[in-house]
Amino acid sequence: MLLDAMMMEPRKGLMGRERERDQFPVGMRVLAVDDDRVCLKVLEGLLRRCQYHVTTTNQAITALKLLRENKDMFDLVISDVHMPDMDGFKLLELVGLEMDLPVIMLSVNGETKTVLKGITHGACDYLLKPVRIEELRNVWQHVVRRKFSNRETNNLDFSKEYSKHPTTDSYHGLSQVASGSSDQGGSRASKKRKEPHREEEDEDEGDDNDNDAQDNDEPSGSKKPRVVWSVELHRKFVAAVNHLGIDKAVPKRILELMNVEKLTRENVASHLQKYRLYLRRLSVVASQQASIAAVFGGRDPFLHMGAFEGLPSYQPFASSAGIPSFNPHGLLSGVGTAAFGLQDLAPSKAIQCASSNGAVSHCIGDTNKFHIANLQENQQANLAQGLTAPLGQPQLQQKWIHQETSDLSSFFSGSALANTMSGTLQRVTSSSLPPVELLECTQIKVGAHSSIRIPPASSGLLESTTKLDASFVAPEQDMDQKGKFPERVTVLPSESLIAADRSKCGTRSSGSTMLLLSDTERHSKYLKFGVASNSRHGIDEMVNGSFNYNGGASVPEQNDVYDFGNSKLHGGFNSSSCNFDGLLNSIIKVENDDVPFADNDLGCELFPLGACI
Amino acid sequence: MAAVALKNQLNAHIASMFAAGFLDKQFQELQMLQDDGSSPGFVSEVVGLFIDDAEKITGLIAGLLDQPVVDFDKVDALVHQLKGSSASVGAQRVKLSCEQFHSYYEAKNRDGCVMALALLRNEFYDSRSKFQTMFQLEQQIEACS
Repeated sequence: MLLDAMMMEPRKGLMGRERERDQFPVGMRVLAVDDDRVCLKVLEGLLRRCQYHVTTTNQAITALKLLRENKDMFDLVISDVHMPDMDGFKLLELVGLEMDLPVIMLSVNGETKTVLKGITHGACDYLLKPVRIEELRNVWQHVVRRKFSNRETNNLDFSKEYSKHPTTDSYHGLSQVASGSSDQGGSRASKKRKEPHREEEDEDEGDDNDNDAQDNDEPSGSKKPRVVWSVELHRKFVAAVNHLGIDKAVPKRILELMNVEKLTRENVASHLQKYRLYLRRLSVVASQQASIAAVFGGRDPFLHMGAFEGLPSYQPFASSAGIPSFNPHGLLSGVGTAAFGLQDLAPSKAIQCASSNGAVSHCIGDTNKFHIANLQENQQANLAQGLTAPLGQPQLQQKWIHQETSDLSSFFSGSALANTMSGTLQRVTSSSLPPVELLECTQIKVGAHSSIRIPPASSGLLESTTKLDASFVAPEQDMDQKGKFPERVTVLPSESLIAADRSKCGTRSSGSTMLLLSDTERHSKYLKFGVASNSRHGIDEMVNGSFNYNGGASVPEQNDVYDFGNSKLHGGFNSSSCNFDGLLNSIIKVENDDVPFADNDLGCELFPLGACI
Repeated sequence: MAAVALKNQLNAHIASMFAAGFLDKQFQELQMLQDDGSSPGFVSEVVGLFIDDAEKITGLIAGLLDQPVVDFDKVDALVHQLKGSSASVGAQRVKLSCEQFHSYYEAKNRDGCVMALALLRNEFYDSRSKFQTMFQLEQQIEACS
């Protein structure tokens, strides 16, 4: 019966829709998916109470089928996370990609990591069971929001109809901010430009505009032909965006690069906007969460952290880190709290690399007995943080940074920093930047033979202070006056962590991940050189050995992810120069084989990787 | 009238269930849904489903724990599901014992799980008998009017 009612909808036509729109959110069409029939029944009851049109199914596959049959049949999908026939996240991904409908996740599990996973997979919201009716009363906002933002992207001249709606202004602003510069920027800037813009547009746009003109009065005015953004298509899109650079990625160029038939500029533009919003969401979330590692293993449409899985050598790390069982301090959780054994490394000079995004921070203080607990915490936080790809947002990981700052500052200040580049490091320490981050390689001789090109300023610093053989990748930003390294280039932590672990640095040639954070604003200014902190053993050895990233140290970057042409640490250290345009992090992973470490003699030198903090 | 007396009895019974922690706020939400008049019998329908499902799930868990090699992931999935449904119904005690189960599962401790299952089952059976009393009273009230 319900389904019939649903089918009636399209036939109502404009009039019916208009009527309904007036009553919106009454009559909003919801598809509810939950394998548990009790929960489904309760959910249905609540939704009906909110006067929505509810369709229920206890199978994700059926849900997909329903959605695919008629994309316009539903306004919103609410889905459970744990389902036997298909993972809720997968469903979420598919719906987001194919149908572009808002999806709300439901679960009895409210763990941060799971919630974050939902968010990174594109969920509009994440509700905990048992759901309260008040929460459901509000879900219509997700539908409206999406429609407005879609419209925004796809209509170049929505001037008139948009000016009618007071709410659009806010969405307008949002999209404007979100999409940054693009061809459409001009049109957004001046909403009123109908004619002139028309001339510049492609033909397709004209069509869309016409369509939209008809749909002016409908909230669900998306009569535009829906493009199915398959994984493949999206991959091309991301590649194109990466190539252009996130800031410079304009739909026109993306379209050209993608070279896909029948794809219009609007399609790309709207997808781009979504993508940007998505990235923005990620960064916002990342900055709000102290421990974020949800991206871990998540099959996220935008993120492909696949590399993580592919590294057999990471196994030990993985198990210890308990990646699947991530918990807020997760990455290091398995490692055990006191495990760092840094204490043993007393004379050690390990490189502490922490990236704000979960860089692996090896706190390496030189002679100091670092407070392992502190380090640990920091590292944990770092690791957690690192996994997400912070988009170089200034506010990234503020929380943990502060936390770490407080923890570490004490020992850092007294630490080998004094020995090292005293000036710089201390300045760094005393700065507001979290000490943890860094590169506290007091006396590590990092013999990375492969050269990572470091921006001149920082390299200068390096040279003067360290006897670093290799140049470390350093962000390109200028060092600030304090002589700190420019931004941290964040490298996605996950791999790095792993790499670090397996590297057992020091003696092995295993790759240690270089976590470079690129954090443009606040914290920045220091280079974080991260090695997987996870390996306490690694640390030992790392400390003792020298880091000789010879030749083949390959630095595979995280492919699809944040590789917006920015930070690509290519192949071996030797080969690549890292460009850190600052926004996105990539993981640098040095392959095992490729990085032969010198023997255990670190010959530690003060290691002024700028950031050593 | 008998109906009034029965209603009082029913209300007292439900109140005692709340007091003893068998029910929580979620049950009130369900009652509210039913009381609007739009879905009569909603509560009994949902609770009925819950009882059946819980019975099935606890049986499955017992079966899994009996295996020579316990598949803890499956156990977890089942407990998780039961937790969700008990939470949705407002069966608080059952939900809480599911939560306790979790720690044993995490530790992959079979004996711990067996013990947790026993506790869970106890809570469930207690809850079930309370619910059944509730249904009986409702039916009697219905029969009267």
